Amino acid sequence: MTTTTTAAPETTTTEPLLQVTGFTKQFGEVLANSNVSFDVRPGEVHALIGENGAGKSTLLKLVYGMYKPDAGELRVAGEQVAVGSPTQARALGIGMVFQDLRLVPAFTVTENYALALATSGVTLRQGELRRRIAEASESYGLAVDPTALVRHLSIGERQRTEILKVLMSGARIVILDEPTSVLAPTEVEALFAMVNGLREQGLGIVIVTHKLAEVRAIADRVTVLRGGRVVLAGADPKPMTDAELIEAMVGQTVAALPAERPTVVSDAPPALELIGVSALGDRGVTALRDVTLTVNPGEIVGVAGVAGSGQRELCEVAVGARHPSEGTVRVSGRELGRGGPTAGIAAGAVDVPEDPVNDAVVPTLTVLEHMALGHLKAFARRIGLDWRRIGRHTMDINEKVQLRMAPAHRRVADLSGGNIQRVMLSRALGREANLVVAAYPSRGLDIATTRRTQELLLARRAEGAGLLVVSEDLDELMAVADRIAVFCAGRLTGIVPAATTNRQELGALMTATEATATDSTTEAPAGEATMEKAQS
Amino acid sequence: MTDTTIPAQFSPDNAGTPAPAAVTTTPAATAAPASESRLADVGRGVARWAAALAGAIAIFTLLLLVKGANPADVYSHVWTSTFTNSPSIQQIFVKAAPLLLGALAVVVPARAGLVNVGGEGQIVIGAVAAGGIGISLGDKLGGGLVMILMAVAAMLAGAAWAGLAAVLRLTVGINEAVSTLLMNYIALDVLLYLIYSPWKDPHGTGQPTTAELADTAKLPYLGTTSIHIGFVFALVATAVVWALLRYTTWGFRLRVIGGNPEAARRAGLPVAMLLLSAMLVGGALAGLGGMVHYAGVEYKLRTGITTNFGYIAFLASWLARHNPVSVVLAALALAAITVAGDSLQLDSGLPAATVNILMGLVLIAVLGWTARKKGGAAR
Repeated sequence: MTTTTTAAPETTTTEPLLQVTGFTKQFGEVLANSNVSFDVRPGEVHALIGENGAGKSTLLKLVYGMYKPDAGELRVAGEQVAVGSPTQARALGIGMVFQDLRLVPAFTVTENYALALATSGVTLRQGELRRRIAEASESYGLAVDPTALVRHLSIGERQRTEILKVLMSGARIVILDEPTSVLAPTEVEALFAMVNGLREQGLGIVIVTHKLAEVRAIADRVTVLRGGRVVLAGADPKPMTDAELIEAMVGQTVAALPAERPTVVSDAPPALELIGVSALGDRGVTALRDVTLTVNPGEIVGVAGVAGSGQRELCEVAVGARHPSEGTVRVSGRELGRGGPTAGIAAGAVDVPEDPVNDAVVPTLTVLEHMALGHLKAFARRIGLDWRRIGRHTMDINEKVQLRMAPAHRRVADLSGGNIQRVMLSRALGREANLVVAAYPSRGLDIATTRRTQELLLARRAEGAGLLVVSEDLDELMAVADRIAVFCAGRLTGIVPAATTNRQELGALMTATEATATDSTTEAPAGEATMEKAQS
Repeated sequence: MTDTTIPAQFSPDNAGTPAPAAVTTTPAATAAPASESRLADVGRGVARWAAALAGAIAIFTLLLLVKGANPADVYSHVWTSTFTNSPSIQQIFVKAAPLLLGALAVVVPARAGLVNVGGEGQIVIGAVAAGGIGISLGDKLGGGLVMILMAVAAMLAGAAWAGLAAVLRLTVGINEAVSTLLMNYIALDVLLYLIYSPWKDPHGTGQPTTAELADTAKLPYLGTTSIHIGFVFALVATAVVWALLRYTTWGFRLRVIGGNPEAARRAGLPVAMLLLSAMLVGGALAGLGGMVHYAGVEYKLRTGITTNFGYIAFLASWLARHNPVSVVLAALALAAITVAGDSLQLDSGLPAATVNILMGLVLIAVLGWTARKKGGAAR
């Protein structure tokens, strides 16, 4: 308590809720955390930022009892403690919301809460729990339907569910690991409003994020990690610029995207044509309604919308992974019909799916084997596969995309989310394609890699591919896309040129249900659209 | 007297072996799984196996004690009667042939994430098909030709039996573990129907069996042993399955499906056809197992022809974690336990179920102690 290496707090009156002093953790030859000190006071939001591999995850896992530190001490409310397991951490009031959400997909929200909240007694008493969830949902302003099956929820909805779960388990220190990475602007606002509420109640919040604007918007202090060390300790982020923060994180300055967008001339058929397409979601409810949209060769169409507005279904329909209930889908002039993903691949469609772990990754296979997947015929050699050629192909792709993909022999099960995303991006952006469908391409990536990914999207565009890019980050869409298609509750509410639009216009279109409610189908008013979807 | 001998026998199994084994498994479980050398993996695997077997034998020893038998006597007797005389050793290989083929019938579908519990039924139906050929053509055609026809018929029948379960799964969504299990009983009833009426040996002693296979159609022995050539078939089949799974596109595709069916679908793989093919190949292998046991050992179809080979083979595949190479060892080990059980039953008056208890213990111990920590990945 007496000696602390953290920057001297401006107000020393309040004792930190959580105080880490000199945490050191070594994995093999990698020093993941080196003499890291960090603290959270009651009623403050402390942002933790840094590149991938800077040691943020290690620090969180040390605090949460998933790893044991080689050196250093942890104090909770002044008491020195040794946290041996997440269970102990929770008992001490440390709550963690993971980036890869820890919910059982086959269970309802209530059942998941029952799992985590360890209700006493033999029966689950779901009715009572459901009431408590509904109350908490209301008081925190987070719409969570207790009866919904988790696997039917979008990632944004799952995250909301997870945050509420941690709050209900009585956490005093809430650690949010990249909570905004898949949230829409309105949801981010709701989240921040909630975080502000928690701050007023005297809780300590740790927020890990890649978005610098968010750091300034929500955090009282910011700590920057680089290479396992603290390079900026508990500074006030408000007066700092993006460039200053980025330089602290990366150790150098990162160039901005080129503003110029050369026009690509192509006589190829449209990369993607959707004509009157409707599709059912996993819950059997119409998730995409009568969408007509064209993506031309040499064009990037961005897709904006609140989480769960039909983006997932749109991407799946475009590559043949989901059969539309109505309408026509053409990729590069070829109608997909009932051909499924095979037809999409044959027409030259590649994708980066919204949920790679569930939909595209085979945990038991290596990175190399993933590079072959989807193009097995091209690599066939008699009755087997030409692994040497696949190896060369992988090296070529690595050289071309420069995304620092994990070594080819690594099993994907052992990779982090960011590294899995690099595999997905390398595979989709590293080879010839007529249509690239990329859902949240920069998820889990650091600043330099995000910038590199955006350059790759533009490079594909320059080569004449059509791209459909879904992102929750409107700034990213406005920087990369030619046009932005906005969805609300499964409808295309507008297509605007990216160069001249602004957040207000996009935000209005994202909640523009009343504009389309003029036609025969009656819709719930704007704000309730997502609630209604979650409950149906 | 017994007070002094029992602890002496008891300690090496119960206290001695598991203790060092526990020391080797605990760090293995906590160490990061990522970048371990292959050699260390193998060493750890062997240590876990040894620990698991020792554990199972320790519990079995307790059972013997409860039963009033002297474990030292039982074990030494089992050892001498099973492993020190040539006929018993040969018997192990004879039993291992259908076991190995039946285990491969689990290995192949398991690669695609399917659970084939129907080895027993597929073996029975394979034996029935071989019997049909044997009875009708056994003395009319040359021996070699009959053997080939029997093998083909048995593989087709086994494949059809397993394929039916695959079709049920792919069309109406019945879990293949359930349907293959239920079809075991149907196969057995088909066998019973045939040997009680249409195929019953008219010159027989009244036992419900078929007439004996013509001598020319019986599988030849290897040299002067009583091991028939079916064991060689099984080894060849193992090598073929290993090569197919490891080196072909088909094997790779099955692995993708087994790892994540949705990813396989999105990569454009014909998932339904691949699942069907895995079951067909598995069924054909089990069917061949039925044929070699019929034409190599039994020569007549009778009620207890398989003596649970299909279920023991299922255990063998799980023991080997569906690895087509280790499955050879697992099949031999379980065949040895079966042979040992026969002598146990004949000589020491212990009930027949005793050996099943041992087999069950071995399986649970091995599965429990060698299971990968953090099963989340294998969804």
